[in-house]
Amino acid sequence: MPHATRIAFVGTPNCGKTTIFNTLTGLRQKVGNFPGVTVAPAVGRVTGTNTEAIDLPGIYSFAPKSPDEQLTVGVLSGMEQTIPRPDGIAFIIDGTNIEKGLFLFSYFAELGLPSIVVVTMIDEIKACGSTLDDIELEHILGVPVIPVVGNKGSGIEDVRLKLTDIKEFAVPNKLAEPEADIPARYTSVRNIAANVVASPVRDRRTEFLDKIFLHPIAGPTVFLAVMALFFQSIFTWATPLMDGIDSMFSLAQDGINTVVPDGIARSFLAKGIVAGVGSVLVFLPQILILNVFIVILEDCGYLARAAFLVDRAMGLFGLQGRSFIPLLGSFACAIPGIMSARIIPSEKDRMITMLIAPLMTCSARLPVYALLISAFIAPIYIGGFFSLQAMVLAGLYIAATLVGLLIALLLKKTMFRGAQTPFLIEFPPYRKPSLKNIAVSAWGRSREFLINAGTIILTLSVILWVLAEFPRANIPAEMQPLQAAQTQLEYSFAGRIGHTLQPAFAPIGFDWKMTVGVIGSFAAREVFVAVMGQLYAADVSENDVTLREALGANISLASALAVLAFYVFALQCISTIAVLRRETNSWKWPAFAFVYTFVLAYSASFAAYHITLFLGG
Amino acid sequence: MNINELAVGKNALIERYRSNTVFSERLMELGLTPGTRITLVRRAPFSGPIEIAYGHLRLALRPAEGDGIYILPV
Repeated sequence: MPHATRIAFVGTPNCGKTTIFNTLTGLRQKVGNFPGVTVAPAVGRVTGTNTEAIDLPGIYSFAPKSPDEQLTVGVLSGMEQTIPRPDGIAFIIDGTNIEKGLFLFSYFAELGLPSIVVVTMIDEIKACGSTLDDIELEHILGVPVIPVVGNKGSGIEDVRLKLTDIKEFAVPNKLAEPEADIPARYTSVRNIAANVVASPVRDRRTEFLDKIFLHPIAGPTVFLAVMALFFQSIFTWATPLMDGIDSMFSLAQDGINTVVPDGIARSFLAKGIVAGVGSVLVFLPQILILNVFIVILEDCGYLARAAFLVDRAMGLFGLQGRSFIPLLGSFACAIPGIMSARIIPSEKDRMITMLIAPLMTCSARLPVYALLISAFIAPIYIGGFFSLQAMVLAGLYIAATLVGLLIALLLKKTMFRGAQTPFLIEFPPYRKPSLKNIAVSAWGRSREFLINAGTIILTLSVILWVLAEFPRANIPAEMQPLQAAQTQLEYSFAGRIGHTLQPAFAPIGFDWKMTVGVIGSFAAREVFVAVMGQLYAADVSENDVTLREALGANISLASALAVLAFYVFALQCISTIAVLRRETNSWKWPAFAFVYTFVLAYSASFAAYHITLFLGG
Repeated sequence: MNINELAVGKNALIERYRSNTVFSERLMELGLTPGTRITLVRRAPFSGPIEIAYGHLRLALRPAEGDGIYILPV
């Protein structure tokens, strides 16, 4: 079988490339895993064709200024060893910025690869009172030009048709002398642009919205409202969905208990598999809502404005507005957050941003927070509207963020001294986000979490079940089931490990069960809930008591707050450590991040535990 | 005169860059070549970033960098 035709999707940043890519590949895309490459571009089969598409990071020219631009240029010039040079180029131009796209294309024309040009945002050109002469553009460039409206998918079928056969592609005409400098290239492409686009009128919608969103008073107010909505939504709106998933897993456990005879097999299925995975999957709604929120902010153009609004404040901590995007992403998951730090051209700013990203409260902490907050904080509403639980949650987020920013300042003043680095951000026009793009992007990001839940967590859940069930204690037949389960746990490997290590955690108020949970969490934070589920399901297996009630009855408030404080800071995530290693190309930085966050976590727990005890909690 | 000295809402032409840096190269790649007509759209409070518009593009940069962008008011 001949190998699939490999087509690289390229263009300037924010030209609508990923929307086209998502529309063409649907949910079939996967994040490419090319060993040795720091950046992982998405690859996907174009539906209905034998063509493999690679979504390369956007660039402005062939003089890369950040690692992600470096990758694109490397792949295109055939210098990247792990990703083969593509057979052809699908070049995407933002129709509202023809000049910038053509400027980049002037370099591509010199590559000599078969190409097609896709012009997006055609509807916006028309809305601005302009038109595109695509026949004339095709004539000048010497390659097929396909106008599309990315959001509505019109024109997409023409692109798909071209992608079925590389013979439809053509080698472009040169647009400038090979040695031409930037101003000379711009002069040349401005002439071309003047021939194919009628001069556009002003984008009054964007101007109007910016007057509000970037207003000195209204702007920050809107920003704070958006952030408040962000946190309210992930805690409040997800509840009905979470309850639904929760009862599904309870039903599954009941089913196993009736079908499978009592013994090791039943215990393995109900406590090892269903309880372990179920207690993590229940948080999928929150993670989905969070990712949808971030994708919408990105797609509609607000995220760039937010960077403008926070740049001054970020500057106080030695960071810049661009650091805001990786840090906000880290609230969903530090892994994509750390990876998106590649958009920061300055190496020092990038390092600082990556090192504090694990302190941003990722969604994997939510299961732990949600469990402990709902077990220990009363579900009351202050002033009839503000949920006390939501306020405690917000407090944990704010504490972690503030400490993270202070650490950034400390790093900037010590290990990463240097001049302020340039901040430059483009404001895209405001756009209505495409539903399909939101769905594909949010699902892609949430899937990472699911894959973790499905593999790492399941494996650890089984290991923990083994540790809790073996070696078997010698239990007299007349002992009550509840007591028998407890005796077994105390006697098991897990009990012994917990007891052995507990003295190290005693100063911060952890009992041996919490110690087992925290140790298990060093693989991934979500494991804590699975462990608590197992350790306490063992305690209450014969009673219809839910986990949170069991925790409320068995753990003191001081210890619970100590656990919360620990999770706010500790870097308990093997995947994050692996990504830090990959992005910094050294074990030094993940080790540094792990140690400094552990010291913070231990100190914060110590303080939380002893202050609560002192106050009589 | 540099871009920071331009009043909000006023137009100017890019004259030249004080020095040839990675940053000035990036600005030129974005189309801010000498001779390009720009508008200073707004300044963020407390000496925050400035927003400039040219053609259909808008971008924000810090006043520290604006010092190195020389302009001719029109």
